[in-house]
Parts: sequence; C-alpha cells; structure tokens
Amino acid sequence: MLAYAAARVPSLAGLVVAIGLLGALLLAFVLVRRADDLLPWALAVLAVAYTVSLFVHGAAVDQAAPLVAAGLLLCGELAAWSLDERHGMAAERAVVLRRALALGTLVLAGLGASAAVVAFTAASAGNGLAWTAVGAAAAVLVVGTAARLARRTA
Amino acid sequence: MTRIVSPRLAAYAGLAATGLITGLATGRVELVALAAPFALAAVAGAALARDPAIEATLVLDRERALESEDVEAALELVSPGGSDRVEVLLQLPAELRSRARNPRAVRLAPGEPRTLTVPLRCERWGAFAVGPVLVRARDPLGFHSWETKLAGRSPLRVYPSVETLHALLPPFETQVFIGNQVSRTKGDGIEFADVREWEPGDRVRRVNWRASARRGGLWVNDQHPERNTDVVLFLDTFADVRSAGRGTLDLTVRAATSLAHRYLQRKDRVGLVSFGGYLSWLLPASGTHQLYRIVDSLLQMDIVLSFATKGVDVLPPRTLPPKALVLALTPLLDSRSAAALLDLRARGFDLVVIEVSPVPFIEPGKGELAELSYRLWRLSRESLRARYEQAGVPVIEWLDGVPLNVPLEEVAAFRRHARPARA
Repeated sequence: MLAYAAARVPSLAGLVVAIGLLGALLLAFVLVRRADDLLPWALAVLAVAYTVSLFVHGAAVDQAAPLVAAGLLLCGELAAWSLDERHGMAAERAVVLRRALALGTLVLAGLGASAAVVAFTAASAGNGLAWTAVGAAAAVLVVGTAARLARRTA
Repeated sequence: MTRIVSPRLAAYAGLAATGLITGLATGRVELVALAAPFALAAVAGAALARDPAIEATLVLDRERALESEDVEAALELVSPGGSDRVEVLLQLPAELRSRARNPRAVRLAPGEPRTLTVPLRCERWGAFAVGPVLVRARDPLGFHSWETKLAGRSPLRVYPSVETLHALLPPFETQVFIGNQVSRTKGDGIEFADVREWEPGDRVRRVNWRASARRGGLWVNDQHPERNTDVVLFLDTFADVRSAGRGTLDLTVRAATSLAHRYLQRKDRVGLVSFGGYLSWLLPASGTHQLYRIVDSLLQMDIVLSFATKGVDVLPPRTLPPKALVLALTPLLDSRSAAALLDLRARGFDLVVIEVSPVPFIEPGKGELAELSYRLWRLSRESLRARYEQAGVPVIEWLDGVPLNVPLEEVAAFRRHARPARA
C-alpha cells in the first residue's frame, strides 16, 4: 500500500514513504510492546500517507482506493488478533477458523462497501443542496454513532 | 456478565467519522471509500454484540485425594446463544497443577452443553477450594467481550501420603487399657515374664508344673500384660524452611500422619499438639475417628508468624497425659519450641525429638562472612542438640529424602542403650 501510494507521486515519494514508515514503525511498536491503545493511531498515520498521495496526485478519482481501505482494515484486524493472542492461550481449531472466517467476511464486505462508494461517484445522480444535505446528514450520523460507541466503551 | 467494549470499536468509528468528514469537506470520494470499511466494521461490531449468558458447572470426580494423585475436574459450559470464543480459566491453588491447558479458548455451539475435563495433579497436602471459573466470551471479531466468575468453588482435601513404618517407638510406660504394647509390668498377659512362688489367689492354670516339680513347691508363671500407650505428636509450627516446593512443614505433616496412622492401628491413643504462632491441640483418643480428626487438623496446619512468648503452660493438662510418649517433630529453629521441649522433659515426660532438618533446604551464602555465619549456625544447632542429650532426650536428625524408619530406628537404638535421666 505504501509502495502504491509512493509510486503515484514520484515527486513527493520521499514524504509519502517517510509518513508511511512512521506508521509502519508505530504499528511495529504496537505489536512488539502490545500497546493496543496506539493501534488506531498507526492506522491513521498510514491513512495520512495515502491521503497525501491523493491530494498531490490530482483530482482524478483513484480507483484503487477500496483496495487500500480494505488493506488498512485487514492490517488493523490482523494486528488486533495478534494482540488478542498475546497471552498465548491455547485455542482450539474451531475458534481460530471462526475468527479467520469472520475477519475475511468483514474485509470482503468492507471492500464491497468501499467499492460501492467509488462506484456511486461514477453514477450521475445529480447534485445540489439536497445531495449535500444528505451527505452531511450521513456524516453526522456516523459521527453520532462513533460518539455513542465511545461513550459505551468508557 | 460484565460487558467490555474493545477500544478498537470506538477507534474504528472515529477513523470512519474522520474520513467521512474530511471527504465531505475536501470533496474527495477516496477518503469516504477509505472510511467505509471502518464504518462497516463499527456497525457490524455493535450489531453482533449479544450477551452469551454462559452458565457453568464444576464437578470434581472426588473430594478427597492423596498427595501426587490426580483428580479430574469436569467443567460443563452452556450458552443459549453460543459463542465463537470462550476463554476459560479454572482458578487453582498453587498446590494443584493442571495437567491440561488452563486457560484455554473453546467454541460453544448454541444451546449445546460442552464439557471440558481438567486433570489436576495434587502436588501438596492441604484443604483447598477449586474454582471459581473465570469465563470471558468474545464476539467473532473481538469487539465485545463478557467476563464473569462462574461455578463457585468445589472443596478438595488432599491428604498427606503415608509412609510405611516397620517399627514404632515403644514408650517407657504403658497405660491401663488393653492394647498391643507389651508392658514392662507384670500381670495377666501372654508374654512370659518370670516364675514366682504361689500366692493365695493365684489361679491353678498359672501354675508352672515343671518348675514346681523341680523346686518342690508351687510356682506360678508371671506374664507381661498387653497394654495401650498414649502418644502425643508435638509439632513445632513456629517456622518453616522451604525450597523448590518442599519444606520442613511438609515433612513434619507427612511424618505426623504416618505416625498417627500406625499408632492408632496399634490401638494406642494419639493426641496432637501444634505448637506455633497458632496453638491447637487434640486430646489423645483412639480409633478411626481420631485418625480423621488428626488428619483434618494437619490439613489446616500452617505457619503463623507470632512474637508472643509461649510455653507448655498454655496447653490444657489433658493434652499431655502422664506416662505419654511425646514425639516432637521440630526443625529446631525457634527458641520458644526448644525451651518448651526442655520444659516437657523437666516435667518428666518421655520425650523424643525428631529434628526435621532444615539444612537441605538452606543454601549457604557466598563469601567468607556468609560461610562463617552458616558454620556458626550449624554449631549453634549442635549445641542445642547437646543440651537435649544432656537432659536425656534423644535428638535424631531427619533429612529430606530419608525414610522415616531410619530416625525411628536410631531413636530405638538410643533408648536401648540409655536410661532415662530424671531431670
């Protein structure tokens, strides 16, 4: 993913690689030191590396964005799985298979959702105030859900 | 069950929200696409969260076992909704070791009971409580977990292993009740003791006709009667020296169990005194019930730190009956128990000290000073032993790994060649 992002912007490849390496190092730190609190930050830094390449590259829609998104989610989920197994607990085969299946399903569903988002941009659904309002409402809904989940976690 | 939400869920929701808002603000659909899988994961994580409502039952295949035996714990788990990952930890005391993986993660199918067997090795004697079971269930992606303690505690009593003793120490004096010990006194019995002239009241069947014919008068046989004895096991529980899972208290308890078992088999009365930070006693009695009482009492035995000055005066008089053989099992580490034993000897008790040696459990330190202090400590122990021997008390050192028969035989040899000193 990092190589893809760097390859898209040869002029600023150094910056993208630097940010990406920072994210990779942070992820390695999370795994080695089992600091699961920092996992979202590692993913966020990796996402920033990709975002920089997006803005530098130009206005054209990157068709590979769903793959990058699914890759990031897979990265986060595998890291979380690794952290869950930190105690070396003996798990029977069915437990491992169920989690692998759930993870695969989630990543594939995420890839599908992301691809659907990119695909919708190709459709000429029109534009205007109503669409902007719908988009804003969707964003508010997601933020609200995030806030609610965060409160339940606390 | 206590529900715990993984911080990852909120983090994913936050990442999704950031991506969506940034995408909306900058008009880049890629950022929305980047956020979509995380939003989906957050929603799926919240949607999949269901309390598995796990119930557990813990059953031990028996409640009593001997040291180094295996006991099987059967743990039955059932969840109406099932769970893809249930982590189970059976809480065990340090003296019990699981021979299966503990903790472990299993899958529970909806409504189907699942039984996990955990073989437990009883590594040390004691009265234990097995359990409770700590259960943590997770949803398929690990976004939510539910934790609880289940199944309560199951009691397990692990009895010390009993060593086969070939011979026991006979006390100098016997009691008045029938037993297996040949008394030194003369009376009705089986063992021949002597011949003497007939006296009025002697029964005809006791007349020794051969001796009478030879000596020209009526001579009768005297016998030694078979009597029981009183034995008091005096355990010094002021201090325990441990190393690599073994210690002087373990040896003391095992020896006390073996001795009590064997003396009670012989129809003797056995009492118990635990002389330490926590004082306890059992009045001498005989029979199987007394064996159970003694073993149960030994299972509760522990070292309780105390600085209180204690002497044998604190013991009820009936715990130390006259003519009783007092078998003291002590590491000779505490001056209070050492003084109490000398006090017992001074009161005329038939006392034998089996020194449960702490030496194998102690590593001398490195360096000249440490070695010197170690040698001084050994010398002070020798000096204490000499004090006992001066008082006519046999002190036999019993080392870890040596059968208990060896010190008992040494005491018997000592008593064959020594007369009790009157203090």
